[in-house]
Amino acid sequence: MDTEAAQRVSELRAARAETPARASAISLALPYLALLAVAILFPLFGGGYWGVIATRACVYWVLVSGLNLVVGFAGQIAIGWVALLTLGAYTTSVFAAGNVMAPLPPYLALAIAAVVGAIFGLIVGLPALRLRTFYFAITTLGFATIVTQVALAWQSVTGGGVGVPGPVFPDPFASQWGFYYFCLALAAICTWMTANVAASRFGRALTAIRDAEVAAEASGIAKPRLLGTVFLFAGATAAIAGGLFASLQSYITPDAFTLDLSVLFFIAILIGGRSSILGPLLGTILLTVLPEFAAPLVAWSTFLYAVLLLVIVLAMPGGIAELLDFKNRRPLQSNRAIVPRPDLVARLLDAQGDTGTLTLDQVALSFGGVHAIDGLDLKIQPGRVHGLIGPNGSGKTTTLNVISGYYAPQRGAVMLGGKALPALAREARAHMRIARTFQTPRIVGSASVLENVMIGGTIDGRGTFVESLLSLPRHWRDEAKLRDTAMLALSAVGLERLAPVRADRLQHAELRFIEIARALMLRPRFLLLDEPAAGLSGEEIARLATLLLAIARAGTGVLLVEHHPDLIFDICHEVTVLNLGKTLAAGTPAEIRSHREVVNAYLGG
Amino acid sequence: MPISAADPLLEVADLSSGYGKIRVLTGVDLSIRAGEVVALLGPNGAGKTTLLRAVSGLLPWSGRVRFDGRDLSGFGPRDTVKCGLAHVVEGHRVFTQLSVFDNLMLAAYDLPRNERSPRVEEVFALFPEISAKRHERAAWLSGGQQQILAVAQGLIRKPRLLMLDEPSAGLSPVLVDRVLDVVQRLREGGTAVLLVEQLIEKALRLADRVYALARGSIVLEARTSEPDLPHRLEQAYMAGVGHRSS
Amino acid sequence: MVTSIVLSGTAMGCIYALIAVTYNVMFSASRVFSFTAGTLGMIGGVLGSLFILRMGMPIALGFLLALAGGALLGIVTEIVAVRPVLKSLDQHLYVLSTLALALMVQQFTAIEWSTEPAPFPRLFDIPRAEFDQQFWLPMLACAFVIVSLELLYRYTLIGHAFLAIAEDNYAARALGLPERRLRMTSFAIAGAIGALAGFAGGEMLLAFFANAPMLTFYGFVPVALGGMGNNRGAVVAGLLLGLFQQSANFLVGGIFASVAVFTVFIIVLLARPNGLVGSALQRRV
Repeated sequence: MDTEAAQRVSELRAARAETPARASAISLALPYLALLAVAILFPLFGGGYWGVIATRACVYWVLVSGLNLVVGFAGQIAIGWVALLTLGAYTTSVFAAGNVMAPLPPYLALAIAAVVGAIFGLIVGLPALRLRTFYFAITTLGFATIVTQVALAWQSVTGGGVGVPGPVFPDPFASQWGFYYFCLALAAICTWMTANVAASRFGRALTAIRDAEVAAEASGIAKPRLLGTVFLFAGATAAIAGGLFASLQSYITPDAFTLDLSVLFFIAILIGGRSSILGPLLGTILLTVLPEFAAPLVAWSTFLYAVLLLVIVLAMPGGIAELLDFKNRRPLQSNRAIVPRPDLVARLLDAQGDTGTLTLDQVALSFGGVHAIDGLDLKIQPGRVHGLIGPNGSGKTTTLNVISGYYAPQRGAVMLGGKALPALAREARAHMRIARTFQTPRIVGSASVLENVMIGGTIDGRGTFVESLLSLPRHWRDEAKLRDTAMLALSAVGLERLAPVRADRLQHAELRFIEIARALMLRPRFLLLDEPAAGLSGEEIARLATLLLAIARAGTGVLLVEHHPDLIFDICHEVTVLNLGKTLAAGTPAEIRSHREVVNAYLGG
Repeated sequence: MPISAADPLLEVADLSSGYGKIRVLTGVDLSIRAGEVVALLGPNGAGKTTLLRAVSGLLPWSGRVRFDGRDLSGFGPRDTVKCGLAHVVEGHRVFTQLSVFDNLMLAAYDLPRNERSPRVEEVFALFPEISAKRHERAAWLSGGQQQILAVAQGLIRKPRLLMLDEPSAGLSPVLVDRVLDVVQRLREGGTAVLLVEQLIEKALRLADRVYALARGSIVLEARTSEPDLPHRLEQAYMAGVGHRSS
Repeated sequence: MVTSIVLSGTAMGCIYALIAVTYNVMFSASRVFSFTAGTLGMIGGVLGSLFILRMGMPIALGFLLALAGGALLGIVTEIVAVRPVLKSLDQHLYVLSTLALALMVQQFTAIEWSTEPAPFPRLFDIPRAEFDQQFWLPMLACAFVIVSLELLYRYTLIGHAFLAIAEDNYAARALGLPERRLRMTSFAIAGAIGALAGFAGGEMLLAFFANAPMLTFYGFVPVALGGMGNNRGAVVAGLLLGLFQQSANFLVGGIFASVAVFTVFIIVLLARPNGLVGSALQRRV
């Protein structure tokens, strides 16, 4: 191992030790601990009426904490989640009251409700994978109406319009304050669990799905599985909240579950800000408590929530969380230079076995009547940089998209080491260690630079969602390893100083290098780059060239789709020139440079 | 403020523009006189289309742009069209659901009602091949005919400067000649033309002057009568390339 | 009985179709769907009842003012909830901004007007019949709007301008078309259409603030099934929806009818996410 690289890595570890994970974790936990302290001491200064309000806030937060993962993190506009509250409330009450069978103990009824809620959460949520945003929002609204109407109609079980009594939990939770502490405990547990998820590779993967879906796919994140998991979780917490709600109300009827309530939950998350736990928590407390301060406000509460939502969307989409984000108010150094470290590239990409060549064999693909690619042969070898150039519409980006699995070739095959790659399996590419960047950088703007890079290593994690939820040891081992690797990748591309900064504050060139750092997290055998030099200054292009050469030297095969002649002729070992989907010429840069036809086609003539 | 015959019709100085965070053009200088045909050449990704979009007001820009003596700061495409600057966009985009006649009438949207039909007839007189198809839907025209229709749309408002973005793209050679014929006729009629083209030789034959744009700024300006232009263009594009060893 | 189902089904179907057209006109002008479409339907009924019954205006005047109110709400939607978010990088903000605006209008109506359904005036003083005006008024309104829109799009310059903006916004702008003004006008027209739906259907729906979420959902089903922006598909799907709903109402009762409609809707949508008509592949990378 290179001693300089080893020294650099130990420097990084030392830097991390100066602000150890534990110290920063405590400072992060401070607001929650303060809230918890206030909540525990609440009965000392709050009266009976305020006790009900406080309990209600805890119950709402149990639902909102789960829904936060769906709406705030995954960005799915599930407006009608009150359906799950209704389900949970009725399931718990019906089983506790004995309307279908002998009465069950309330804890068991609550547990059954959680399971039912999880299942229905999945049912309500899964259309999100298939439908457009607005369509999905409308279907969740439909669900909410349906559930209420079923509750109204199924008189034998739910008591119809008359309703059913809510469950009564045994001592010590039977009294008002006893029940309050029960709900507070559950609310605290939900806060802890969702905060754990937020700080895990699953939380980051959710934000990637929301804000940079193609980048998430390229990093190997399987959207259906992850979304399914959070829908299960959100359904379960909503149903548990429903059971608690029924107990708090003592008696439930279908008209207790109004659309207004659904709107409250949804708006609390958005006011709080996306990708945040504290924000929506404060938002829920705010929205529960606000109408209580003035009698007329109660009638206008939903109107006010809607006004707040409009204001947030138009003026401050980041919500309360953005207001509280003090560390991103600090000005950044101007005239920042990106200085890649080729030696660290070698350390990051470490030894790779013989991986074989990436070949395209007579690949053809048409859109409508247009031949985007018309019988293309291409061979990308490990350890070499292969340039792909040609005029607009020649098929360069389409070729890259075929290799990375967005389009299936209509003729011919894409092969890795002699074996055909499965067509249209975008997420599988990451597992085969084929990484890519995009024409326009796909970055999660609201996440930090480090988090963005860590997204690239999502599939390397071993711990399951439940292990992250419960903060078990394997989750921490995963996090530490991911963090170290990401810092190394950032240092390799020269951006480690910007690790904690929000990505949307960065300049275009820096975003391009972050995409490369993210791609390097896969320790790729093959790296596909889509016009990485676009928008870069001459100096930055030179640095990019150094970086790409270092990546190739470490054994990765690089496919470089580009316009900029500087980059192509300086670093490519081979160049293929495309025109109208066919190979016009292929060879070394020197050969291409003097090829008459190429100069004409590429420059026009 | 009317300009004298000696002043340029279009004067662009230190123009910068781009898309969000991506800066494409930096410090572009360019001028066009009344009645001139100027070719704008350059490799892909150099920023030629971006330059046209900035001048016509489709993109925000910084720097100085004056047209016919007027400062174009803050002007959108509707305002620039009113001033006499027309932009025919890339890709021979016409409104396929409408007839040829209706496509031209749309270009006359801002004219007083009684002036629309006469003006459309005047333009039809210039382009008999689309006049013959005036009631057909634009979707059924060939690529070349659609391109001619797009140019015709640009001429409805009697522009003093017409900017054409790659009118030959995707057309067969015969149709390309047809379209470039139109440019020749425009010059004879006194309209200035800024022609972005990929076909260097044809553009050089048609134009009075040429600018070459590469990596976001102008790298060459010359009269087309000067010798050895194709070679000088290639040099200008490739400047700075091949100095580093792999 | 069959006659009754056919009449009420067709009438409700026409109301749903008109709301779907409202969605579509807004969509064509801006490429976004607005939650205010259903609210506009509600407003048409409420304003009609307010002007004619409560304030005693003549029917024709009340009618015009109700339409004007809808047009105004349409314009407000464009200015407040659509224009500001079109420029934003986050593509889905329009869902939230239009939802917020729709909720504000609904809640305001509930508080200031009434939380209970209020009666809607009988527009023509003729005796009740089997093919009563409460049925043929929505049908007339629907036919009128569809024909007018066809004429507008086919024969007028402004109609062509709407088509141009919808087909190729970029080329339309470059040509100098007044894109912003055209969009506002589209939204005003859409607003008037939505209000007309509520007004024509007033006797069936009554003046009730809770019509808004109901119309928001049922007015969207024809859009989803008929294809985004496709008015003809919306009408066909709307009529089918109305007939299906009324038949189910009769066969299994009101609540299970809703469940039936919703289940069919979800199944069809999951099978054909682009509607029964389908649409082209889009390049994402």
